[in-house]
Amino acid sequence: MRLRVDGKEVEVQEGALLLQVAPVPTLCHHPHTETKGLCRLCLVEVNGRLHPACATLAQEGMEVKTETEALRRLRKTLLEWLALTTDLSQAPELLSLMERYGAEPARWPEVAGRKEREALKDNPFFLRDYAKCVNCRRCVDACGDGIMGVYALTLEDRGLLAHPTTPLGRPLPETPCVFCGNCVQVCPTGALRPLTLEVA
Amino acid sequence: MRTTCPYCGVGCQVEPEVQGGRVVRVLAPDIPPNHGALCVKGRFGLDFPFSGKRLLYPMVRESRDAPFRRATWEEALDFAAEKLLEVLRRKGPEAIAVFPSAKTTNEEVYLAQKLARALLGTHNVDHCSRLCHSSSTAALSRSLGGASMTNPIEDIWKTDLFLVVGSNTTETHPVIAAMIKKRVRQGARMIVVDPRYTGMAEAATLWLRVRPGTDLFLLNAMARYVLEAGLWDRAYVEARTEGFAEWRASLEEYTLERAEAVTGVEREKIALAARLYATTERAGAYWAMGVTQHTKGTATAQALVNLALLTGKVGKEGAGLNPLRGQNNVQGAGDMGALPDVYPGYLKVADEAARKRFEALWGVPLNPKPGLRMTEVFAAIPEVEAIYLIGEDPVTSEPYQDHLKAKLSALPFLLVQDILENETTPFAHVILPAASFLEKEGTFTNTDRRVQRVRKLLDPPGEARPDWWITQELGKRLARALDRPWREYPGPEAIWEEVRQAIPELMGGISYARLEAEGVRWPCPFEDHPGEAVLFRERFNTPSGRARFFPAPYTPPAEPPSEEYPFTLSTGRVLFHWHGGTLSRNSRLKEAYPELKVEVNPKDAERLGLQDGEPIYVVSRRGRIRARAWVTERTPEGVVYAPFHFAEVPANRLTLDALDPVSRIPEYKVSAVRLEKVD
Repeated sequence: MRLRVDGKEVEVQEGALLLQVAPVPTLCHHPHTETKGLCRLCLVEVNGRLHPACATLAQEGMEVKTETEALRRLRKTLLEWLALTTDLSQAPELLSLMERYGAEPARWPEVAGRKEREALKDNPFFLRDYAKCVNCRRCVDACGDGIMGVYALTLEDRGLLAHPTTPLGRPLPETPCVFCGNCVQVCPTGALRPLTLEVA
Repeated sequence: MRTTCPYCGVGCQVEPEVQGGRVVRVLAPDIPPNHGALCVKGRFGLDFPFSGKRLLYPMVRESRDAPFRRATWEEALDFAAEKLLEVLRRKGPEAIAVFPSAKTTNEEVYLAQKLARALLGTHNVDHCSRLCHSSSTAALSRSLGGASMTNPIEDIWKTDLFLVVGSNTTETHPVIAAMIKKRVRQGARMIVVDPRYTGMAEAATLWLRVRPGTDLFLLNAMARYVLEAGLWDRAYVEARTEGFAEWRASLEEYTLERAEAVTGVEREKIALAARLYATTERAGAYWAMGVTQHTKGTATAQALVNLALLTGKVGKEGAGLNPLRGQNNVQGAGDMGALPDVYPGYLKVADEAARKRFEALWGVPLNPKPGLRMTEVFAAIPEVEAIYLIGEDPVTSEPYQDHLKAKLSALPFLLVQDILENETTPFAHVILPAASFLEKEGTFTNTDRRVQRVRKLLDPPGEARPDWWITQELGKRLARALDRPWREYPGPEAIWEEVRQAIPELMGGISYARLEAEGVRWPCPFEDHPGEAVLFRERFNTPSGRARFFPAPYTPPAEPPSEEYPFTLSTGRVLFHWHGGTLSRNSRLKEAYPELKVEVNPKDAERLGLQDGEPIYVVSRRGRIRARAWVTERTPEGVVYAPFHFAEVPANRLTLDALDPVSRIPEYKVSAVRLEKVD
């Protein structure tokens, strides 16, 4: 199967995602948790329309653009909004993307974000520091359908208020959580991190 | 740096980050078998090497009444060698036993059994799988000629029906359980046979809550039903098996009616389970201690084998017979010959050709008589006078603890080599401090035969040394005194090279260089062989090439409940802990599950007036322990369940030492107890 990416011809196998051939940034996508299509950082232009590269199958003859001016502006804005609402200090990949796209969060007015939230410590193994959470949903999916089938984490509310939590906000030991830490492993921002990293 | 998790047999690949004398984080790489996933033990329980209970220096005492004194390696090894030689000269090789460990590397196990066989002249070699899967090994070996999982873990993704018998997989092999559960979410079905409402029962399509110790009856009844309903694979049975007619005749009494009466499972459910298993092309059987730890453990494993053969499930992708191995290297310990009747590669001690092979390799004459099994060795004390114990804690793990303690107190010489102080170290005469998995090189073999690297991230603390080094030094001393050859190896890779040479049909193609990227499964006879995933596709590893049916008659448990002891005690593990607790209770895991809780069914609790969380005594004919009651539907009426991780309140004080006649595995899963309130 052949398609063109930024003018160059590429060949891919049937069933490949655009992400596998398009060099675009991504945040929520994770092969094991099967999370995709949420963060919009990987949007690409296909035959003039926008598609998330992590959730779009490559097709014969596609004309894919990965870095148009509009896409660059969109990524810059998305990153700025993430930085407005959350503490990205432990998300090195996002920080370097911000640099790459020249993100300036200060050009926006202040938004009531989650930066002030206190970290939750309700178990002997890891912290849930949602001030650093970007709602990528990987943790929810790792805990649920993607890996464990345990469903101790869920996403609550919509829009700017959306956030991962436990069912009814209960402490983790009161949920089906088995403390496998697969949520910790897939968290890209340090919102979930081992307690052992905290003590000097 | 990448290494292999030291807890269960899944063999997860881990990347621990060590800083300032602590494990600060454990991530997992995206390679088989776990592809980035871990369980709580691998993720948060790898800090036991930093425990204050680490054995740091060699210690010696002349008699059990004397206090231990710190010794140099030289002194301690000389002393140990002298003691072993003294017993050898006076009472002969049969009075000595060597127990390598399923927690040490393949190289270390190989060396320890070589020391026993080539230097001490004894086949009294065994390891803890005697207490976990020896009955599976017995049944699989005699029927198929091999005793491992027949199918790889990846086959879970190709399996359409799981028959899970006596395996609390979500707590004991959590990463495999997560895969099976995900496959069930994708549409596969799962039949779970277990008295307890485990995580697997919760995820099952069909849960058969058998009475403890009756699964054998159920499996035989399933086979009989499959035959009667004409659902069996006649072509497979004719082409690939033998012993069918004799076995078939043995099924007469296993009707659905009788099965319902014995097992407590409705006959329709048994029939449905049989029908589903027989008619699903890709149906895989998985099992663990619930099957094996019975006086009829071998028979029950055999019944599973028979059922799989009858329905043509062995030698196919997405199917097979899959005993889930418990310890990180229990597969490897067996492969390396830590068993009394076989050399490395399962070559029989009693077989002359095998003996000649190892005589040629090691340059010594070898004893033609197989040795004693671990449970028999302990029973034979004080006829057995010396035991070299590596990485095991029998005081916690053997049944009927008080009896075992009395035996160990009467043992003239106990050499203990371990990383942490445990319940058995106080019985030692010499203690040799070993390096943990973070502190040495080598390989472990996981439950699906994948040989994987163990890598050194740290120097051992104090004067601790890797097990292979210790065994080699001890061997040097024995060899000198006995005037026998003993090769010195510069390191684990050189030992592995000898293993490849010893059993090329299994390991010949597996080099350390190949293991850099990821593990390789045996059998792998040459370097560009990919390693065998599914065993017995064409022929079985028996002399005739056919698999053999064996009758598996049902017998009731050795100790049924009585008026005085009305409950059935079942023992096992919990998610947060590991066996005797020596590792997990010296790690961060102890905070998540600090004390013993005994599961009691709400109806029993009500009858006895017990509250959830109330302290109780659990009492058997052999002893009593104090625990907290956990009132829960997980356990059925009339059954209490106690994890055995808690050395201070050991469940194995209560268990009986009735043994399976074939494998000599103890009946941990059924003993009669009563519950008493604490005033």
